[in-house]
Amino acid sequence: MPAYQLTVNGRARTVDAEADTPLLWVLRDTLGLTGTKFGCGQGVCGSCTVHLDGQAVKSCQTSLREAAGHAVLTVEGLSKDGTHPVQRAWIAEDVAQCGYCQPGMIMTAAALLKRKAHPTDGDIDEAFADHVCRCGTYPRVRKAVKRAAGGVK
Amino acid sequence: MTSRRDFLKVTGAAGAGLVLGLHLDAKSRPGETAKVLFQPNAFLAVRPDGTVLITIPKAEMGQGVRTALPLAVAEEMDLDWSRVEVATAQPGPEFKNMQTGGSTSVSTTWTPLRKAGAAAREMLKAAAAAQWKVDAGQCRTEKGFVLGPGGKKLGYGALAEAAARLPVPKDPLLKKATEFRLLGKRTPRVDGPAIVTGKAVFGLDVRRPGQRFAAVLRCPVPGGRARTWDEAKAKAVRGVKAVVQVPTGIAVVAESTWAAFKGREALAATATWDEGPARDFSSAALEAKMRAALAGPADDARREGDPAKALASAAKVLEAEYSFPYQAHATVEPMNATAVILPEGAEMWAGSQSANRAQERAAAALGLKPDQIKVHVPLIGGGFGRRLGTDFSTEAAQVAKAAGGGPVQVVWDREDDVRHDLFHPATLHRLRAGLDGSGALAAWTHRIAGPAVLRSWTGGQKSPAQAAVESNGALDIPYAIPAIAVDFAEVEAPTPLGWWRGIEIVPNVFARECFLDEVAHAQGQDPLALRLQLLGSRGLVKFGREEADIRRLKKVLEVAAAKAGWGKKRPTGRGLGLACHAYDGRTYAAAVAEVSVAKGQLRVHKITCAVDCGLVVNPAGLEAQVEGGLAFGLSALYSQITWEKGRTVQTGFHDFPVLRLADMPAIEAHVVPSAEAPSGMGEPPVPLAIPAVLNAVFAATGKRIRQVPVGPDSFK
Ligand code: FES
Ligand code: FES
Repeated sequence: MPAYQLTVNGRARTVDAEADTPLLWVLRDTLGLTGTKFGCGQGVCGSCTVHLDGQAVKSCQTSLREAAGHAVLTVEGLSKDGTHPVQRAWIAEDVAQCGYCQPGMIMTAAALLKRKAHPTDGDIDEAFADHVCRCGTYPRVRKAVKRAAGGVK
Repeated sequence: MTSRRDFLKVTGAAGAGLVLGLHLDAKSRPGETAKVLFQPNAFLAVRPDGTVLITIPKAEMGQGVRTALPLAVAEEMDLDWSRVEVATAQPGPEFKNMQTGGSTSVSTTWTPLRKAGAAAREMLKAAAAAQWKVDAGQCRTEKGFVLGPGGKKLGYGALAEAAARLPVPKDPLLKKATEFRLLGKRTPRVDGPAIVTGKAVFGLDVRRPGQRFAAVLRCPVPGGRARTWDEAKAKAVRGVKAVVQVPTGIAVVAESTWAAFKGREALAATATWDEGPARDFSSAALEAKMRAALAGPADDARREGDPAKALASAAKVLEAEYSFPYQAHATVEPMNATAVILPEGAEMWAGSQSANRAQERAAAALGLKPDQIKVHVPLIGGGFGRRLGTDFSTEAAQVAKAAGGGPVQVVWDREDDVRHDLFHPATLHRLRAGLDGSGALAAWTHRIAGPAVLRSWTGGQKSPAQAAVESNGALDIPYAIPAIAVDFAEVEAPTPLGWWRGIEIVPNVFARECFLDEVAHAQGQDPLALRLQLLGSRGLVKFGREEADIRRLKKVLEVAAAKAGWGKKRPTGRGLGLACHAYDGRTYAAAVAEVSVAKGQLRVHKITCAVDCGLVVNPAGLEAQVEGGLAFGLSALYSQITWEKGRTVQTGFHDFPVLRLADMPAIEAHVVPSAEAPSGMGEPPVPLAIPAVLNAVFAATGKRIRQVPVGPDSFK
């Protein structure tokens, strides 16, 4: 059983687990980072979204082998104190209802804004195409992304 | 509703500051002594440092109770909101009814919570007055302080111990709405910061020392059982610790969730099943039975005038059949619970909407008394009625026991969650309307055929209330029609059922509001004008046990129509449709949808909603419930669960679609101001989405859709 090395939220970690273990479970069960959520394990809900070298990926569809040697960022590492512009916008728009899908949405929003500082509605639709929010927070998600982009004061 | 027996008492003081137990839900039961006649449901504690802990008797699942309920206390008590902490209660003698459902959390706790806050405020004032040797009337309260004559000022923390020794005022004066400082203002959710940083703890995030994870291999056919299996295959998977049998299936217990899933997969390949009595069940067979039941005997829910005669003598009779499929809850957090067996009993963490029931059922399964099980209710990643069920919590207790004590977290994956839901059942509806010689609506009949949800709550028994409950939304048709018959024909189905956001009102209001639209068009009338005419100038109207104020319904309808620009010309291809409902006579809501259909594709551009839910506790929360409720309702326009060979065809979000961001229409929520006591908003908007949209589709295309879900063929 080889051990895998990866960087999680800026910290070097060594993980001894099967190569095909989804990064999601490495984060949640091995490293105790439960901010990244399990919604489907099928790649269709977006709850498990994290950044891999700055790109939004679904951690349930990313194996430990694929993540090894790369930098992983989870919602816990997005900012020290909840002050990342996306987190601030999320609070300002009071987006969350049950809150379960929200860390994944926040990670997608952060990656989108890094890619495109001023996303259009079409960009937002596309970026969130793989996210499910059963509580229906979508109108506020859209507003919060725009606010974080500086569109709403 | 609060009882007149509500009262407050001081339950403890020393060291903890002022602790007020709030008693409501007073029900006397035969054989019980006076001391248990009153059951406390919520507590507040003023700590010596002036922070205040408010413990709420309801579960937070996104509806905002952890914000709304404490606001009512804080308002009356004049608290500094930034120094309020909120805790969720644990079921037990002090919290005997934590059930969270039916959009009742605010309405049932509103007055008692305010009284608790007001009583505490008076006691703190009295304590300060005594210390200053002034009259309490000379003191007032503000943001956690008592202010007295001559600039005197003391914090609640410093006064708490003295206040706790004072008698509790029986009927403290409540504030007038004009004096509100917190209520009615936009207050962000208290859990927001924890949620956006990933610190919020949902059921699946519970981590106990030495915790293991389990996945249960269940028969894909509900009610079936494993006949044979080879546990060695599961045990060969790295990290698997044990394979144990529980009533729901075979549990694989492992060091991680992934190992449990892999172990279960290996086990599944070896299992043979006794699929049980449901093995031949199919949606097609059920539909045939439901169609037969449309013409068979039924239980009356409402009968007024002589509908048969009125139909027979009508100049014109319209008839239509509407259908609504099985639906799943599809909460994003799948079912799960964590349990550990202790020498003195057990401890559980379950995102339950019904924590007392979860406690009782787990106790029965473990051979314990309910008070031997401590139940924690973490945040709930979506409830919608699913978590009123206790299947998942009892199962976790059973797995923990079978696996040597735990702690163990039983994790359902998405397929488990869809396949073993407590489903909302399908219904078929036959409606008839008779128009008299002048074209006026003279008769209305609505037959509903389908499985009875209520049986899931009554241990399989047929309740005398069955017809009324199953026809909620149809029975209380608010329109004045001389002859009305609404009845329910039960059709048995071997599938687990349960409460779903909106329950029966979703299909029933869909059929009712769409068919009324058909009547309007048959009469050559405007659908809004017809509704206003049929609502008339009536005031309070009784429907069975409920009573609705038709004036309030009419008002929301008028507001929604005006705000949506009803009657104004639209671009070609666009249409407006409306629907309204008086939810349990408590919340009034109307919606106007604007849609277009192009190349077989439906696009919902906007839904304008007007609501009257009495006094608004938190406008931010209210708007969120309107958005979320409409999204939930709209989602059901596209989704369904179907059955073949006793199992669901659908296994996840890929084939049970949930509305996505790109398909979310713009939502406009308008609140009709009201001084009535607040009512719920979690469910009232849900049933409006489908009929408003399908009525708009008719307006845009002339095509009447009577079947949910819609697909690309629906618009051809
Ligand atoms: S859990 Fe990964 S996409 Fe749903
Ligand atoms: S906030 Fe509940 S699922 Fe999105």
